[in-house]
Amino acid sequence: MPPRFGKLDLAAWAKSVPTIKGYKTEPWLLKGAKILTINMEIDDDPADFLLPATMHPSIPEYAIFCVTNYPDSPVGAFSIGEVRISGRTGVRPRGFVLRSFCDNEDARRELAARWGYPTVAGDVKIELRHDRVVALVGAGGKRVLECELLDRDMISGGDIQYIASMHLARNEDDGKLVLVQVDPDFTFSKAERGKPRIILLDNDAFGAGDHLRLANPISATFTTADVTLPKIRYICNPELPAMQGTTKVAA
Amino acid sequence: MKFGLFYEISVPRPWGRETEKTVYDNCLEQVALADSLGFDSVWAVEHHFLEEYSHCSAPELFLTACAMKTKKMRVGHGIVVCVPEFNHPIKIAERTAVLDILSGGRLDVGTGRSATWTELAGFRASPDETKKTWDEFVHCLPKMWTQERFSYQGRSWSMPQRTIVPKPYQKPHPPLWVAVTSPGTEIDAAERGMGSLGLTFGGFAEQEEKVKRYRKIIRNCTPVGEVVNEAVSTVNFLYCHEDDAEGIKVGRRLTGTFNYLAAQLLAAREAYPSKSYPSLGLLPSLRQEASGPGDAAGAPEGIAMGNPARIVREMKKWEAVGVDRVNFLLNALETVPQQKVLDSLRLFAKEVMPHFQGASDSASAAAGGR
Repeated sequence: MPPRFGKLDLAAWAKSVPTIKGYKTEPWLLKGAKILTINMEIDDDPADFLLPATMHPSIPEYAIFCVTNYPDSPVGAFSIGEVRISGRTGVRPRGFVLRSFCDNEDARRELAARWGYPTVAGDVKIELRHDRVVALVGAGGKRVLECELLDRDMISGGDIQYIASMHLARNEDDGKLVLVQVDPDFTFSKAERGKPRIILLDNDAFGAGDHLRLANPISATFTTADVTLPKIRYICNPELPAMQGTTKVAA
Repeated sequence: MKFGLFYEISVPRPWGRETEKTVYDNCLEQVALADSLGFDSVWAVEHHFLEEYSHCSAPELFLTACAMKTKKMRVGHGIVVCVPEFNHPIKIAERTAVLDILSGGRLDVGTGRSATWTELAGFRASPDETKKTWDEFVHCLPKMWTQERFSYQGRSWSMPQRTIVPKPYQKPHPPLWVAVTSPGTEIDAAERGMGSLGLTFGGFAEQEEKVKRYRKIIRNCTPVGEVVNEAVSTVNFLYCHEDDAEGIKVGRRLTGTFNYLAAQLLAAREAYPSKSYPSLGLLPSLRQEASGPGDAAGAPEGIAMGNPARIVREMKKWEAVGVDRVNFLLNALETVPQQKVLDSLRLFAKEVMPHFQGASDSASAAAGGR
C-alpha cells in the first residue's frame, strides 16, 4: 500500500463541518446545469494537509475549481462555487471538497443536510463571453475566487470525466465525523474545453491557508448537463484508510 | 506459445541509497535465470515520474544489461514513448540500433505514447498530439534504420539529409510492435503491419474478437517497415507455487499491490479531456481484471497464479484465443520475496512450459537441473 496518505488536521477542520441528517436522501435531478471546471496542479507536500487520512494524494495532486449554475431545483435556482483536492479513496479517484459557496439559503441548507456539502453563503456567477467563460465567487462583499476558461473549443461530452466528491460532515444521529461520497450522474448536452486561468484565489476563504499552492495549469471545461445528485451509497471513517473504513449505506 | 518477462520496476518507499539498486539487481537476477530456463523475451517499459509504480525511465540501459547477462532471450524495448518531448526520433533510431548490435540482433521495439498526465505534463507534451506523433514516428523509424541517407519534413519534426548510424544488426530491421490499450489500437497495429503488444485483457471473448480482427486486417496491411510483424502478445502476472492456495494468495497480493499503485497515478483522461484518450489505458483495465472476485478458489480469470495445473489451464485459454506470447509481471514493490520469485519461475518452466509448443524445448530439463 502506498505510504502517502492525507494529513488533514481533522480536529481543526471539524469545527466548520455541516451536519448531515442520515443517509436516506432521495436523488435530485437538476436539469440544464452549467458547469465550469478548472483543473490546476498544486504543490504536492503542502496539499497533503488538505486531504483526510482516508485518502491518498493523486500523483501529482491537483485542485479542482468548480462553479455550477443550476437554473432549476426543488428549492429554486442556485449557483455553487467550490474547491476540491484530488485524491484516491483506495483505488478510486475522488475530490475532497474544502468549501462550497452557495447563493441560495434553502439550497445551502438542503445540500448540507442531504449530502454533507460544506456550504457557506456567497455570491456565485458565471459569465459567458465569446472567447471565455468567467466564474466569480464572493462572500461578505469580498471576491474569493475568480477563474476562467479561455479560448472556448467544442469537444464531446463523452471525453469529460468528472470525479466523485468527498464531503466531511457530522452525522446527526451519532455526532460522529464521516466522509460522504457523492457521485453525481451527468448527461451532457454540450461540452467545451479551453485554457485554464485562476485570476484570484483567497486561500483562507476556502480553509486552505498556506497549503494550497497553485502550480501547473491542466485544463478547463465548460459543460451543459442534466445532473443527478444521487442517493448516498458509501461513507468513510475519516480517520481510517478507505480500504478499512468504508461502509456501504445503499445499493 | 512463448513466455516472456515484463518489467515496470516498482520500487517501494522509503528510498534509501540501496533500495533502487537492490530492485534492479533482483530484476537482473530474474532475467538471467529466466534465460537459462527458456523464457523467450524480456520487456521493459519507459515510464517517468511514476513514483514507486515504475522507476524504469531508462529501459535501454536496463535492457543492455539484460542482453549482457543472457544468451538467447530477446530484449523488448517497450514501449518507447513516441512523443517528441520525450524522445527525439533520431535518438530512438540510434539507441535501438546500438541495442540491437550489442544484443546480437535480439531486439524488439514496442511503440506507444504514454497514458498519464503525470508523464505527459512532466515533459510539457500535449495529450491531443500524441497519437499523431506516434504515427509519424513509426513511419519514419524503419526508414531511419534502413536507408543510408535519410531526410524528413513532417508535421511534428523534420531533419535535413544525414546518415543515421549505426544501423541495426537484424536485417532488414528489428520487429516493430504497438502497445494496445485503447479500444481500436489493435487495428492501428494491424493496418501498419506491426505486432500487437496487448496490455489489457477484458475477458477471453473480447480478446478473441480483438485477435481475429487484428489477423484479418493485417493480411491487407500497408506495412510501415520492410517486414510485417504479425504477432499478438499480452501482459499477465505470474506467481506459480506447488500449493494452489498459496499461489493464489501470493498472486493476489502481487496483483493487488500493482493495481493499487497504478490507481494513484493521474490518467491523462481524468485531468485533460481529449478524444485522443478514449480510455484510461492500461492501469484500470488490469486492475479490474486482476481484482475481480475470481473463481471458487479466488483466482481471477486469465491470470497466471496458483499451482502449475491451474496456470496451464489459464494459459491454454490464452493460446486458444490466438495469443502468441504472454509476458509476465513478477513483482510490485518487492511484495514477493526474491527467492519466491525465482522459485516461481523455476516451477513454471518445469511444469507449465512443457505443455506449450514453441516454449523452450529445454525448459523442463533446465529447470529440473537447477
